[in-house]
This record gives sequence, C-alpha cells and structure tokens, in this order.
Amino acid sequence: MSRLLDIRDLCIGFDAYGQHRRVLHNVDLHVNEGERVSLIGQSGSGKTVTMRTIIGTLPMPPGKVEQGSIHYNGQSLLDLNKQDRNRLKGTGISIVLQDPMLSFNPVLTIGRQMDDVIRYGDMRLGISRARTERRAHMIETLKKVQLTDGNRVLDSYPMMLSGGMRQRVLIGMALLNKPRLLIADEPGTALDVTTQDEILALLNRLVAEEGLSLLLITHNLGVVREMADRVYVMERGHIVETGTRDEIFDAPKHAYTRQLMAAVPPLYGAGVKTTRHEGTHPIINVNAVTKTFETRSGWLNRVTGNFRAVSNVSLTVQQGDIFGIAGESGSGKTTLAKIIMGLTKPSLGAVQIDGRLLDGFAGTQDFRKLIQIVYQNPGSSLNPRRTVGDQLAVPLKFTGFDKTATKRRISELLDLVELPQNYAAMYPHELSGGQKQRVAIARALSVNPKILVLDEPTSALDVLVQSTVIDLLHDLRREFDLTYVFISHDLSLMRNFCNRVAVMLRGEVVETGPVAEIFDTPQHPYTRALLSAIPVISPEEDARKPKVSKEERAAVLATSTELEDT
Amino acid sequence: MSVMDDPAAPAHGLSARQMALYRFRRNPLAVIGALIVISVILAAIFAPWIAPSPESAGSFVDFRNRHSPPNWQNLMGTDNVGRDVFSRVIFGYRVSLGLVVWVLGVAVPFGIVLGLCAGYFGGWTETIIMRFTDIMLALPPLAMALAITAVLSPNLINAMIAITLLWWTWHTRLIYRIVKGQMNEDYVEAARVAGASHMHILFRELLPNCFSAVAVKISLDAGFVILFGASLSFLGLGVQPPTPDLGTMVATGSEYLPEMWWQAVMPGLAILYAILGFNLLGDGLRDMLDVEL
Repeated sequence: MSRLLDIRDLCIGFDAYGQHRRVLHNVDLHVNEGERVSLIGQSGSGKTVTMRTIIGTLPMPPGKVEQGSIHYNGQSLLDLNKQDRNRLKGTGISIVLQDPMLSFNPVLTIGRQMDDVIRYGDMRLGISRARTERRAHMIETLKKVQLTDGNRVLDSYPMMLSGGMRQRVLIGMALLNKPRLLIADEPGTALDVTTQDEILALLNRLVAEEGLSLLLITHNLGVVREMADRVYVMERGHIVETGTRDEIFDAPKHAYTRQLMAAVPPLYGAGVKTTRHEGTHPIINVNAVTKTFETRSGWLNRVTGNFRAVSNVSLTVQQGDIFGIAGESGSGKTTLAKIIMGLTKPSLGAVQIDGRLLDGFAGTQDFRKLIQIVYQNPGSSLNPRRTVGDQLAVPLKFTGFDKTATKRRISELLDLVELPQNYAAMYPHELSGGQKQRVAIARALSVNPKILVLDEPTSALDVLVQSTVIDLLHDLRREFDLTYVFISHDLSLMRNFCNRVAVMLRGEVVETGPVAEIFDTPQHPYTRALLSAIPVISPEEDARKPKVSKEERAAVLATSTELEDT
Repeated sequence: MSVMDDPAAPAHGLSARQMALYRFRRNPLAVIGALIVISVILAAIFAPWIAPSPESAGSFVDFRNRHSPPNWQNLMGTDNVGRDVFSRVIFGYRVSLGLVVWVLGVAVPFGIVLGLCAGYFGGWTETIIMRFTDIMLALPPLAMALAITAVLSPNLINAMIAITLLWWTWHTRLIYRIVKGQMNEDYVEAARVAGASHMHILFRELLPNCFSAVAVKISLDAGFVILFGASLSFLGLGVQPPTPDLGTMVATGSEYLPEMWWQAVMPGLAILYAILGFNLLGDGLRDMLDVEL
C-alpha cells in the first residue's frame, strides 16, 4: 500500500517571549491510501500544530520546523514553493474544522461561500467553469452529505442552518475540489451527541464511497473507536504509541494510553461505578415548574411569541443525592438550574429548598449557606483581574467573616481542593483549566453549603483532568455530607457519578429514576436514542447499548438534514 | 496525574506583567512615545530649574533682544517683547499638563462611574444615563466650550471646567460598552450568588476589568486635551497673558508670520511633540494590554 501522507521525524519549535520551546518531538506519522487514521491526545499535546503544519497554516515565525519532512503523494511539502503548496489546498488535502459556526462568514450565503471554494480551487488548477456548472456541482456535493434540498441550502445564510447542517455543509465544502486526503479536526464535538453520531456515520460513508483517506484529530476515544483503522497517541508532542485500532483498544502498551482509557467513564460493563444512596429526607422539591420566555421581534420589538424553556417539571432531590439532569443543548437544563438557584423566577409552579419556598428566601444569607453553584466554564466564572485569594474571599466577606477568619478559611479551602497555598496570590490565567475549576469549587464551598449545583463542571476539561475533578467531588461529598445537582450532557459520566437522573427533552423531563434503572432499561425513546448515540470504547458496551431504529429516532429527534420551515 | 503538572498550564513561566513588558519593549514607537512623555513631564515639573531664562515666564520685558531668531542663547528665538521662547515653551508644558491632570482627574472618574452604573443596572438607569451622554456627544465640543468660557469669562479655570463638562462622555461610552460585554461572563452572576453587594460588583469585580482600556484611553486623551486647551487659548478664551501657554503663544506669534516664524512655529512644534508622544504611548499601551477601542 502506498503512503499518501508521510511525516518523518518532524520537530517543531516556537519562539515566545524571547524563549524557544519545542512542541513537537520527532513525530513519525503516515496515512496510507484509503486508510482512516486517528491522532489522539489531550489539549496542548500538539495535535493541532501537527495538522496546521501539514496544511501549511502554521504561523512561521513564531513557529519553526527544526527538522524532519512531510511528504504528500511523494512530494515534499516543506520544500514546495508557496504556489505549488497552495495548489494542493482543497484539491489534494482538505480540512473539516471543529466549529461549524465559526468556520463560516455570517454575512454571506452558503452558496457564495461554496462558490468561492470552487472558483479558487479551479483557478489553482487552471480551469474555469460557468456559474451554472458550478452551482450544479455544489448541489451534487450537498447530496453527498445528505442535504437533498440543495437549492434552499445554497441560498441560506449560516445562521439559518442548524449546527448539524452547518457541519454537513462544511464537510461538503471540503469535498468540493475532490481531495484525496481529508483532515478532520474534532468533527462534531461542538454538537450534541445524537448529531455527532450522524456526522461520524456520514464521514465513514464518504471515506468508503469516495475513496478518501482520513486523518482524524480528536481527544475522544469513543470517536476514534468508530472512525479509525489505525491510531496514533500523542502526549506532549511525542507520539507515544501507535498501532491498529484493535491493538490500541484491546492491549494498550504505553502507560499514557492506559491512563487515557481508564479515565473514560464506561457506559456499561464491569468497570461502571454505581453510586448508591437512598435518601430519606427530601431537600429540593421542584413542583410543576414552567418557565416561559417571550420572544420579541419586528416593529417596536413587540412580543410575538412564547418559548417554553422549562415545561411542567417536577423533581425531588433527597439529602445526599447526586442528582443528574441530562439533556442536550436547548433542553432547558441550565434554566432549571437557575430556577433552583433562585436566579430566574419560574412563570408557574414553586421550588422548595430544605422545606422553604424560594420566594423571599432566595438571595438571603441563610439561602447562600444552603446552596451554591459551580459553573461550566471556570474561564468565565472566575474574574480574570482578581487573584484566587480575592475571589475566594467574596462569599466570606458577605457572610460576616472578619479578616483573620477569612484568611484562615481561604487556606483551608485551598487544602480542600488540593491546591498549594501560594495559589492564593495567582491570577486565573496562570492556572490550568482543571486548577481553575478547583478554585471555583472552593469558592462554592467557602460558606459550607449543603447543596452544590454543578452546571457541567467538567465539560471544558480533558478526560484525565475530568477524572481528578470527579474524584475530588466524591471526596468532598463524603466529607461534608453534600447533595449535588449535576447538570450534564455527558451520559457516560453521569452513569458513573450520579445515583439518580432525570432526562430532559425540550423543557420536559421525559424519564427519571435511579441511574442503573435508566441506563439498563431505558423506557423513553429519547433516552434510548441518546444512549445509542454515545461513542463508547469497548465492544461490550456497544453490544449493551440500546438499539434504536431510524424510525424510532425520527419520532423524537429531528435529523440534521432537513431545513426547518420558518 | 498530580494537579501540578497539567500539560495545559502556561509554559513559558512568565507573569502577565513580564509578558506585557516584553511586548512593549518590542515596539520601538511605543518606547519613543514613552520617552517623549517622560521628557514633557520632567520639563513641566522642573521648569524653573531647566529653563535657561525662568524670568521669561512672567511679564518680563527685554526690548533690546526682541524678535531675535533662534540662536545659541535663545534656542527657539525670542518673542515680541524679548522673552525666550524656549523657556516659555517649557513653562507652557506646566499649564498644559496641569490642564490634562485636572480635566482627566475629574472627567474620567465621573465618566467611569456613570458608565459602570449604566452597564450594570440596565433598564431606566441605562436609558437615562446613555441618552444624556448621547445628547452631550451631539453638541459640537469647541462651540460648547466657546459658549461656556464666553459666559463664565475667559480664564484658565473656566477653560478647564468647559473641557471637563465635555470630556466625561467618551469614558462613559467606553466603560458602558465594556461592562455590557462583561455582564455575559459568569463571574458577575457568581459574585451575586456569593452575596456580593452592588458596590462590590461594580468597583471590585467590574472596574478592574476596565482598567487596561481606561489606561489606553487616558494616554490618547491627554494629547487631545492639550490640543483642545491650546485651541481655546489660541482663540483668546483660555489662558490669559502673561501666563505662558502654548496656544496663546501660537496666537500672538502668528501676527509676526511669516518673517518671524519661530514665534508661532516653535510653540506649535512643542504642541505637536507632546501630542505625538502621548499618542504613540497610547498606541503602544493598546498593543501591550491588548484592548480594543
């Protein structure tokens, strides 16, 4: 088999602030004709630098290729002149980027943006086609990505399409100039798991039908298992392990690979940890809560409609529960959390916390000592211009701690979340994501609340860091007898962390119960569809996932191929 | 894996201040700007010791030596009553910088507080503050200043008041926009959940996030305040003789153009020098602190 892409002994360094740092160390990687290869690693491991060097978009300087070579189809890419190199873009090597929204220009139609891709591709190849010919080619390409209503898609603006459709268009764009190698950077990870599932299936089909080679860059082991023939594992700029998919998944050799595998929460099987807890004393009571937002538009910004973010939700959380609220984006789970926190008033219904109604109770000192929240993104929930110590002091200051007591408490809190004492004087940007989230957890714990609302606390973190944060949360719960309300879209994580879950779809709770029950015998078709879409890392889990037919799925979920009528 | 060796942690081991300083030093124009500003400030502070002829700053007259072109004795020549233009320029910087400190010292805090309140509280507070700001912005500044000084009698204090009354609006708009953006960040809500008071959120959480933009704006503003003050003086509505002021000097000097050009051109160049310095510094700070204005 011939090597389509062949990277040998590649070393890349960066100059930053007068210092030189090597980020890729002797990377060897190749992609054979028609092969699907995955490059897996955590953030900061050098995956993206590798990708950008291949397609020639690495800024140089500050980047510098120190040694090594990249060959595409026998040509040395690093020795090509700029013109020849550009000629390969889209026509030889093409790329699908991660974020389907950011990859489009919002003020130009899809058709215009695709047309540009064709025209510049043609220009590089020295051919020209008429406008109608190009349009026919676009519609044909959109059919390949299962967008049958090509004319309407081409006349749409990016914001008129759903995330899944945008990702499809993006894939279509990468295919326009008939490349031989497709590089996909975290395809679908910005999308909901059910949509991601569709996108991965589509990519797999295209690779087979069009005879493409695929280089997939991702941090998600489950995705790799579904998408790769061969795998490279990258850690801090080194390829630490490589092998066929089955070699890597069945018998990982390198310690880092094993660590990665172990950190992925299993969905089914012997590795699943079940948190058991039978509460007797209800601490949160959500009673028939509905939240409606008015949508305004048109002349004088009049109210033109209502949008139900949360619709008639009733839940009971027992003291000591880790209560999971699962759902995809737009399911209303964050709005529900804000209602529980007293930050948003429900339109109908009532919430009781520890036996007291929220009205008049929310926002008081007693309330704050009862319930606190940890946000999804610590980059946003921590003030970038204040030190860790200053931020930990805020809740203390407003619950009557004096200066010395505050100081003592801050040092206790840093110990609790296993951060060194000198971190009190640091600013958030000096900390890594996991460390920042620890600070956010410490802040939430500072006044000894009984309940923590955790709004996707690990979704911004790498899987290894995620597992350390989850361990910390377990420890803290044991030590302080905490109750957690855990909001997430990551069902595998919930299976291992929560003892009860509620599944939300479009503002409604469709299913609720003990975690083992929901996962082993899901009743609602949506729960089944969600579970079946999760990319897992072992055949055993695959076998035990619920099987959902296309028709069943279509009954609860819109596919990402249809334009909504507006 | 321990908490400490997280691969995503910043790796070059420099503090934010070191990185900012590095970016600043790599920008030669910014360094030149900073040097100019420092020289202007030093000249203003130490004017009586630096100026070759300190008595020229007052109503000193030396008719034997009037209208002499630039020479080694009088680097920028002498004016119509024989005073040393160079010395008067140095003392003129005192007046200009005094104006800058006074105007920005009053207008900036006032503008910042209004901007913070408008952005944070929203609703009616926002509507009232921002629409009032818009009205103030709609008035042509020079005409306003002329009207105010004309009514209050022309002198330095009234010129300061006039400029101050117009200047805060820009800072209100700037801070308002920043705060509006920051309100989407979770840390504001997190502070509220932690029980923080409005005062705490406004001045401890939000204000620090406005500092870099304000620093840039102030250094750019300083140049414009100098120019504005000079314009008023040029029109006879600002500083009154014999106090040395760059604008007044240009005005009196212009009567002797073009033959005795130095009397108007030299103070003009001095204005240019100071404004150039402040603007280069401001641009440098903007790149260093990475803010959008």
